Amino acid sequence: MLTDPVFLAQLAANGVAVGLGYALAALGLALLFGILGQVNFAHGELYMLAAFALYWATQRLGLPYGAAAALTVALMAGAGAALAQVVIVPNLDRGFEPVILGTLAVAVILQNAVRLTFGATPLDVAAPFEGVTVDVGGVLLFGQRLAVCAAFVVAYAGLAAFLRFTAIGRAMRAMSQSRDACVMVGIDVRRVTRWTGALGAALAGLAGVAIAPLFDLYPNMGTEVVFKSFAVVIIGGMGNLAGSALAGLALGLAESFAGGLGSAVLRDGIGFAAMIVMLLLRPQGLFGRSVRV
Amino acid sequence: MSRTRAITIAAVVAALMPIALGSPYVLHIAIVTGFYVILAQSLNLVLGYGGLLSLATPAFFGIGAYAAAILALRFGWDGTATLAVAALAGVATGIAIGFPSLRVSRHSFVIVTLSATLLLQLVANNWEDVTRGSLGLANIPAPRLLGVPVEGRTGWYLLSLAAAAAVVLVTHRVVGSRFGRALVAARDNEQLALAAGIDVFRTRLFAFALSGASAALAGALYAYFITYIDPGVFGFSVSETLLIMVILGGSGTLWGPVAGAVVFTALPELLRIAPEVRSLLYGIILLLIVLYRPAGLATWLGGRRSVAQAPPA
Repeated sequence: MLTDPVFLAQLAANGVAVGLGYALAALGLALLFGILGQVNFAHGELYMLAAFALYWATQRLGLPYGAAAALTVALMAGAGAALAQVVIVPNLDRGFEPVILGTLAVAVILQNAVRLTFGATPLDVAAPFEGVTVDVGGVLLFGQRLAVCAAFVVAYAGLAAFLRFTAIGRAMRAMSQSRDACVMVGIDVRRVTRWTGALGAALAGLAGVAIAPLFDLYPNMGTEVVFKSFAVVIIGGMGNLAGSALAGLALGLAESFAGGLGSAVLRDGIGFAAMIVMLLLRPQGLFGRSVRV
Repeated sequence: MSRTRAITIAAVVAALMPIALGSPYVLHIAIVTGFYVILAQSLNLVLGYGGLLSLATPAFFGIGAYAAAILALRFGWDGTATLAVAALAGVATGIAIGFPSLRVSRHSFVIVTLSATLLLQLVANNWEDVTRGSLGLANIPAPRLLGVPVEGRTGWYLLSLAAAAAVVLVTHRVVGSRFGRALVAARDNEQLALAAGIDVFRTRLFAFALSGASAALAGALYAYFITYIDPGVFGFSVSETLLIMVILGGSGTLWGPVAGAVVFTALPELLRIAPEVRSLLYGIILLLIVLYRPAGLATWLGGRRSVAQAPPA
């Protein structure tokens, strides 16, 4: 059974699907660190907020999944710009502790506000691809998982194109190299910060609307996601988008095989173990990209 | 002299007030306040004096609580030995978390301390043979300390008060020592401290271990007092509350976090606020501090480094 090629192929397929989900969830976090050098501790809560916004838009407004998802991502972009304006912009020159504390505070506020609004009972949100299953030579592929993979590919390609081909994207890349130089050539760093916050939150929102239909919705669902995203971003080299995408994929595969051939605890702990090993072996190298001269 | 005496008398009177009032409810809050004083002082050593934004305090607290519960329930250990081993478990956890996290940049330090806490919560939830998972461990027997059973709310209050006073005293002695001065020097200017021959890594690791011991002690006392624990003891809400207590009280001072712990344990009880609303309000308070007291925050947290980087007014 353990060496059955179909079983191993199934584990690999599951791993890729889950891993691209991790990569999608971590993308916004990696972007914010890469461009601004800031850690957004509310990232998981933005993901959670998007899932509840999707529930609200489909159940209360009665919108179809596609429209609700688009509305949610747009709302999250606005929320991200607001978060950047309130927490990050005033603290751009004050080191990173105020931003960490500020985003932690926002995380707590969002979590409890959602708990007070929607209650603690797990909710469920339906998506059109949920029931679809594709059988490829005995390996089962699930519709919503494939939708997550597609969302990642679209998000990653879209982000890369945005950073390369738009003026604001080029300004963001410039800011990741030197904020002082940006100020000198007349780039509005506050505007770039708001854009980065908006994009980061929109990516968290996209992850939320794509992944949430797979699980129950509850107010602290973001904690688990942010835990995995931190591991992915640290393993991949913080601020390195391609690195965290690969690390997400690797983590998904490692978890899938650990869970399939080992145990559930091994599966859940392997990301943390990999993160610790990485930190012990390459403590400085991981953050090398972000050090400003 | 007379002023010191007046303050001492006032402190003793205030400390004995809950007993004089005799209300079981007031005593209950007072006992829990003692635990929070210990926890706030544990975070204060690392955050206030060490300048390290650690989110690992609930990890130490939870380890202490589980160590006490397991030793008392499974092995029938007596209170004194259990508390000692729980504190040692806190030391071990402090070193285990501090060793990788103190070697990395200050961003990843925060992430690693948070992740380590979440990992321990994961273990508590999943290692069901030992922890009974989310069911938690119930009916933890009352402890005997040096042969004396701890009974009744008055007894518990005296124990909580004594433990809190001991931790404050130890913190006072440690901070005034050569080690404490090295810790503060490393906070204020790491490069200068290194140049002066201070082993910054080892100093911070020691602070982490000590912080682990006191928070684990609070966890063990909490487990004995409440007689029931579940993986929620590792929850982030503990970190949140402690950050408010320490930062608003005055991090890097001896009595500030004590005052913060007293006020922010008693206030929500007196106002009878639901836990969700309390957490929400704490979040808003924390956000307001960051937004409107950033200079103070920078002084508390970053020392000279942040001041040097501050923009011209």
